[in-house]
Amino acid sequence: MIAESGHYALVLALGLALIQSTVPLLGARWRDAALMNVARSTALAQLLFVAASFVALVTLHVTSDFSVVNVYENSHSLKPLIYKITGVWGNHEGSMLLWVSILALFGGLVAAFGNNLPLSLRAHVLAVQAWIASAFYLFILITSNPFLRIANPPIEGRDLNPVLQDIGLAVHPPMLYLGYVGFSISFSFAVAALLEGRIDAAWARWVRPWTLMAWIFLTLGIAMGSYWAYYELGWGGWWFWDPVENASLMPWLAGTALLHSALVMEKRNALKVWTILLSILTFSLSLLGTFLVRSGVLTSVHAFATDPTRGVFILLILCVFIGGSLTLYAWRASALKQGGLFAPISREGALVLNNLFLTTACATVFIGTLYPLALEVLTGEKISVGAPFFNLTFAPLFVPLLIAVPFGPLLAWKRGDLLGAAQRLMAAGIAAFAAIAVAWAWTYGGATLAPIAIGLAVFVIAGALCDLAERVGLFRIPLSISLRRARGLPRATWGTMFAHAGLGVALIGIVCETTWNSEYIGAMKPDDVASVAGYQLRLDGMTPRQGPNYREMVAQFTVSLDGRRISVMTPSKRNFTTRGASTTEAALLTRGASQLYISLGDTAADGAIAVRIYHKPLVLLIWWGPVLMAFGGLLSLSDRRLRVGAPKPAQAARALQAAE
Amino acid sequence: MTRKQRRLTLIGGALMVLGIAAALVLNALRDSIVFFSTPSMVAEKHIGPGRRFRLGGLVETGSLKRGDNLAVTFTVADGSAALPVAYKGILPDLFREGQGVVAEGSLDASGVFRADTVLAKHDETYMPKDVADALKKQGHWKDDYGTKPTAQAAPAPTQGAVR
Amino acid sequence: MTLWFVFALMTVAAIFAVLWPLSRGRPAGTDGSEAVVYRDQLAEIDRDMAAGIISAAEAGAAKVEISRRLLAASDQEQHEVPVQSNLKLRRMAATLGLVGLPVVAAGFYLALGSPQLGDFPLAARSRAADANQPLTNLVAQVEAHLEKNPTDGRGWSVLAPVLSRLGRYDDAVRAYRNAITYAGDNADRRADLGEALIGTAGGVVTAEAKAEFERAIAQDADDAKANYFLGLAAEQDGRKADAAAIWQKMLATGPGDAPWRPLVQAALVRVGGVSAPALPDGAVAAAKDMSEADRNTMIRGMVDRLATRLKQNGDDVEGWLRLVRAYLVMGERDKAMSAVADARQAVASNAERLRQLNDGLKNLGLDG
Repeated sequence: MIAESGHYALVLALGLALIQSTVPLLGARWRDAALMNVARSTALAQLLFVAASFVALVTLHVTSDFSVVNVYENSHSLKPLIYKITGVWGNHEGSMLLWVSILALFGGLVAAFGNNLPLSLRAHVLAVQAWIASAFYLFILITSNPFLRIANPPIEGRDLNPVLQDIGLAVHPPMLYLGYVGFSISFSFAVAALLEGRIDAAWARWVRPWTLMAWIFLTLGIAMGSYWAYYELGWGGWWFWDPVENASLMPWLAGTALLHSALVMEKRNALKVWTILLSILTFSLSLLGTFLVRSGVLTSVHAFATDPTRGVFILLILCVFIGGSLTLYAWRASALKQGGLFAPISREGALVLNNLFLTTACATVFIGTLYPLALEVLTGEKISVGAPFFNLTFAPLFVPLLIAVPFGPLLAWKRGDLLGAAQRLMAAGIAAFAAIAVAWAWTYGGATLAPIAIGLAVFVIAGALCDLAERVGLFRIPLSISLRRARGLPRATWGTMFAHAGLGVALIGIVCETTWNSEYIGAMKPDDVASVAGYQLRLDGMTPRQGPNYREMVAQFTVSLDGRRISVMTPSKRNFTTRGASTTEAALLTRGASQLYISLGDTAADGAIAVRIYHKPLVLLIWWGPVLMAFGGLLSLSDRRLRVGAPKPAQAARALQAAE
Repeated sequence: MTRKQRRLTLIGGALMVLGIAAALVLNALRDSIVFFSTPSMVAEKHIGPGRRFRLGGLVETGSLKRGDNLAVTFTVADGSAALPVAYKGILPDLFREGQGVVAEGSLDASGVFRADTVLAKHDETYMPKDVADALKKQGHWKDDYGTKPTAQAAPAPTQGAVR
Repeated sequence: MTLWFVFALMTVAAIFAVLWPLSRGRPAGTDGSEAVVYRDQLAEIDRDMAAGIISAAEAGAAKVEISRRLLAASDQEQHEVPVQSNLKLRRMAATLGLVGLPVVAAGFYLALGSPQLGDFPLAARSRAADANQPLTNLVAQVEAHLEKNPTDGRGWSVLAPVLSRLGRYDDAVRAYRNAITYAGDNADRRADLGEALIGTAGGVVTAEAKAEFERAIAQDADDAKANYFLGLAAEQDGRKADAAAIWQKMLATGPGDAPWRPLVQAALVRVGGVSAPALPDGAVAAAKDMSEADRNTMIRGMVDRLATRLKQNGDDVEGWLRLVRAYLVMGERDKAMSAVADARQAVASNAERLRQLNDGLKNLGLDG
């Protein structure tokens, strides 16, 4: 009954989405409040039903009901409970259900907390949201239905792959989806604005919190995915520029640009048409990411061709939504009132520069990701576009962007003073040059680019701090007043500071890890000592151990620095006896922000074991940076000016009085 | 500045950045693209030593030899041709004889493929995409042999691609 | 019945969500408007100026700009068509909810769902387990238990012979190995392991199997199974005299009523270990004939078992090749060709197995 109720709930959600996508539009057309309000109640009901459907699927997985094909194919009664649950979205059908549940969640949030939106805008936004939802409900029900049944259920499920039983792998897809799907709201807002034919500064204020929320999730999702790859795959890499990663990076770049351009629009009523376009592009890239990962086109162009229903359906969704929204854009954008122009040297100018570089960088990633696919389809020639391509294109575009980052917040709106900003950034510049000098002297004769990159990163961080110091008047006025001012600063200002500094922090990590990474690869016997980056690692011996459903060979390494014993590391190689599969468990030792990393290879005939040891200086900064950025985003989100709920008129009045 | 001048500055700046980006992309596409070959394609095209490419095929059974200090040699074959490969380092967990493999590197003067990266297949049903396609082209992968479609519905990425 | 009741309840809830807003004249919630946002922005500038974040001049300019927007917004709001209520449209929407929703839901669900199927959670089904279950399900349960408790040696030693009988030799080998690891090493288990290994090799006593029998002998020199198969190994290697010696020793030292005596005696006759000179030529010829028949029976039994096993699990390319070879040796070309077809069918989904198969067939002189 659970399975069938879940199935029926999903069907009902489709029905509600269909109503939600039409009735409110009629209401907006004839200005009928009741009809427009249907959007709200149906969005909430739709969320309720799709959530019920998702919970039903989770329950089926937990109780190992193998009469459901999806459970039979992707679960096993012996999986630990946590992996039974996470296995729900570890497969195609379940992950699409999660996708659409999150879509409904965002729709529900707009319905519940969108009190500050004008009635007709809210109706339009929710209707557009329901179009997307309807398309995906149909996709799920017709081509990827997770509730199909088997009349004679088998006794045992088919999947107990130990490699996939990993908590990192389990948590980061929902995060990524929250990001991907979150951008659907800005898409819906953009299409709603085009439909209404009206757009102004207020629109930007309404759309920003939603964009920011999606951006925070996407940032964290990408960072978690990268860390998972780092510790689980056993070779110490954290970013491979492979299509799956690029698919998440592209919406992030476009979304970051969108955040900044929406800011210009809110403050200056400019860049309106561009912001609308960015909203559409950002979500289009999210859809494209879903398509790339889900259609199988990455595994093989042929796989896509031999099982066409799914791929063609997603391709169709892609064409309708991207093509349709862009056509609507081309048709209606000229009708929108043009915004004001502004001087190139100004806060707006700096943000335009930011947008220019971010979107161009995004375009290079797009080309690098899709060019091989296009070439294969057109000429049949197979190429791989790897890290070298992106290092040559993406990196040079990011350098001017990073140089510009500290200047932006220091320039005034409308007409900025570049010289003044430069003077105020003097301290940051000095810090940057000092950092270059120190890094260069330390690694004398080594890489020349790396110290400069470090200097750039320091410039970004120090620039963010300079901006803050400037705003609170640090060292110009008494400290106590500065502190009071710091408390009084809008949270969004603090958020900007943290997000920009996070960028610099991540850059330091990336540069240090790629330039000064040292590794040792060799066969070791017990009592052999390997030295890596000043550490001595002695292989004490190998002991077999019995786990819950595997046997493992644990190697014990004693780590010492200058003869002083620091710690013990125990990488292992697991053998899942009953399945005949084996996995490698790397051992990590964190020293400050740096890490030692050991993973094991095969055992040779003479008892020596292949060992890979890395020392990764400051590697953790790569992930602390994004966390800092997300924290900054969260601070901005909590700023009362952006708060999603209604800024009650009474409150505004109070604020006015207080200010006077 | 007049309105028109401002507008022109903006457009000019945008065009400049786009131009630079286009130049970078074209330059990178010329230099840093890695082509994919199978042993028979290597024989046909006479790829010279030193040129980087990806070699895909099946590890020939019985050809894996381990040398000193993690050096390994094996042969990659695609049915009609075979190519010896030398690699130094730890092979991936799923590297097996008789299974699909993709190696990246270049040929040396003696015609041995010096690999610096080796990717193995990820699970029982997965074959690196390039290998599967190449085998299909050569007719070693015959769809009409069985009723089961050869394609895998769910993408199963290589080690490097798992997220 | 409950199911349909639940469905009806859900449908009513969904319809209610559509009808509820339609039934209410004026929405209770206050709506936002652009003017609110601009007023908010003005307040914000005042706050920033008070905090000294922006200068008075900047603030003044910004306020002028925002005020202009505020004026335009309120102007527009006045020009807007006021919210009205359109009874006809509402009726239409209500009908859509009342009729369209159930129709869409029922249409999709009846096409896709399986309302006749109840739930089958695993817990409920394991309780219902009884003797009528097919053997394979019982085996699956024991295997499931062992997956959770891989150190249960007794479990492994119970499971192993069953697997062997089912023809799942590969799994049997693993089970016997685990039984030896966790339930202790003894001659019987080593000999059984060796036998399972012979099963995986389609009847050939491989070096691996031989090593197991030797280990069994090392623990118990009189282990009948190990001795017999060591003899068979010697015979397969062509050392008939050694085979005869081993079997003669078995007959001499073993108990008189041992069940294996006829088997060993037959084997002995086959290798000619019975004192040949004492018999007339005819008898030797008879023995040879008999041994030929015997051997054929034995081979046929093994081939049949191999064929059964491959029918269940077709992934084993080596097995298929062995089967084809066996049919060819026995002169049954038709069966060989049909086995080739079966094999291709079985491994078609895996290119590299298919390649191995084709290579092997080429070696056998059969071209794809």
